[in-house]
Amino acid sequence: MTKTANKMEKNRRDGSFYINPYLGGVLLGLVLFGTYYITGRGLGASGAVKSTVVTSVNVVAPEHAMKSGYYSKFLSDDSSPMNNWLVFEVLGVLAGAFLSGTIYGRLKFKVEHSPKITSRHRLIAALAGGMLFGIGSQLARGCTSGAALSGMAVLSASGIVTMLAIFGSAYLFGWIFKKLWI
Amino acid sequence: MNKRYIVLTFIALAVGAGMLFMPETSRNKEINPQQLLNAIDDPSRFLSTDLITDRLVKKDPALLLIDVRPETQFKAFAIPGALNVPLDSLLTPSSMAMLSNKDVDKVFYSNADATADQAWIIAKRAGFETIFVMQGGLNKWFNDIVKAEEPAATEPVEQLARYQFRIGARQHFFGSPEVKAEVVAPPKKAVQIIKKPVEASSGGGC
Amino acid sequence: MTGPLIPMEMIPEAWNNVIAVLLGMAFGFTLEASGFSSSRKIMGTFFGYDFVVLRVFFTAGITAMSGIIYFDYMGWMDASMLYINPYYVTSAIVGGIVMGGGFALGGFCPGTSFCGVAIGKIDAILFTAGLFIGIFIFSEFYPVLSTMYNSENLGDLKIYEMLGMRKTVFAFLLVLAAVGMFYGAGFIEKKVKKVEY
Repeated sequence: MTKTANKMEKNRRDGSFYINPYLGGVLLGLVLFGTYYITGRGLGASGAVKSTVVTSVNVVAPEHAMKSGYYSKFLSDDSSPMNNWLVFEVLGVLAGAFLSGTIYGRLKFKVEHSPKITSRHRLIAALAGGMLFGIGSQLARGCTSGAALSGMAVLSASGIVTMLAIFGSAYLFGWIFKKLWI
Repeated sequence: MNKRYIVLTFIALAVGAGMLFMPETSRNKEINPQQLLNAIDDPSRFLSTDLITDRLVKKDPALLLIDVRPETQFKAFAIPGALNVPLDSLLTPSSMAMLSNKDVDKVFYSNADATADQAWIIAKRAGFETIFVMQGGLNKWFNDIVKAEEPAATEPVEQLARYQFRIGARQHFFGSPEVKAEVVAPPKKAVQIIKKPVEASSGGGC
Repeated sequence: MTGPLIPMEMIPEAWNNVIAVLLGMAFGFTLEASGFSSSRKIMGTFFGYDFVVLRVFFTAGITAMSGIIYFDYMGWMDASMLYINPYYVTSAIVGGIVMGGGFALGGFCPGTSFCGVAIGKIDAILFTAGLFIGIFIFSEFYPVLSTMYNSENLGDLKIYEMLGMRKTVFAFLLVLAAVGMFYGAGFIEKKVKKVEY
């Protein structure tokens, strides 16, 4: 009895323990459902980054922001774009993930990469990947959380089509960039 | 481990199958009759031909011009840039999807006002918003823009400005070679289009 | 107490942001606890050695979807008030393809990259930085992209409308498909070489 208890203690702290994916899925589904039930909207992630970009550009170069076709959509006279549901949600995401990392012992500064490439390669690829994802997320008006996941919950055509495009393309490009991963 | 997953599979399938037994409730969001009557009386649901023309020339992306006449009439002549949704196909799923975008102004027109008005009432009753009727219909548009008549010299300046605006629009649509118009600033009656769309809050789920 | 609560004004708007933070925390916690802060774990779905993304994603999707459909049926929630992203055909597909490329290069998506940032993964930090740059680039090039961005708007089309089936039939098929994929995933995982990460 104590031996399994000890094993569980050790497992829970060294950073290698992850909860059962189906359990995680159900919990995430409940969170998503709760979000729709309470707010009438789904979860999101890229929207908060967009708000930050819009606010930054507005602070640094307000006339450029007002003239631009894109930034001006999100600027209003009464409140900052940062006063936005998604921004607060993302702050929560950071906090929640930090909490989980603390409990399961995963807080560590490191670069995670396949043994076939160097750290530097990985970081460059991550930066490039982020840039592509940023562009794509604006085109598709959402990312995997906002469009695909929330879209599936409400059976939105836009969300599901975007999701299929993301996964299909990721499979294709994943095999092209295989060396980055395996 | 395996037994647990088999149980979960059954639960998932049961939940899924349960949904199959739900009756088909088509809950249309119909607005109540009093609201509909008030909306019909509201004159702002009519947009003038000049305003529509101005927005067409400026290629306003928030304008969707819908021709509700039968297809044969549409093919014979229609306002450039208009979409054809005959009155009897107004409530098909694809056209309803088009009508549901609140950020775009949907403007109905027909030859006069009768059919466009019918389309407007049907759409309003079904709960769609930002819908309008182009006042006077195609007849007025044709008279105003295509057959614009030069006002007499005794008419007020506004008339002249409006006439030149219409000539310019005609040239824009049909490239009429005879009249070389310098388009004066649009008549003061026209509403300036502020390109600040409605959704300034979060603009879409991400 | 019919949902959705805030649009129905059952909860004052001032609570909006507090609720956002709390839901976000639950979101972040669940993601990280399932392993979504590790890019190599995430990419496992695309190579067959770890299907955690598939399992969590689709389980979450069908759980939330079923919840919404049942609550709507019982009258506890008005599903027609839920926000649906407008479907701009070309933009959605092209954006998805571009995102897939970014996913394959970076190994993250925005939500998971935030989890990675929260626990100190430097590759996640760079991915997030890339997000900012990418969005900035898009905004600057918006005049060029805006025709495609605004083209072919089909409004808040639902997937079952697009395919011409009843909502509940599609939902059931989706559940079936998800369960099928889970079994398939387990099968593939057994056949694929183990990868240490």
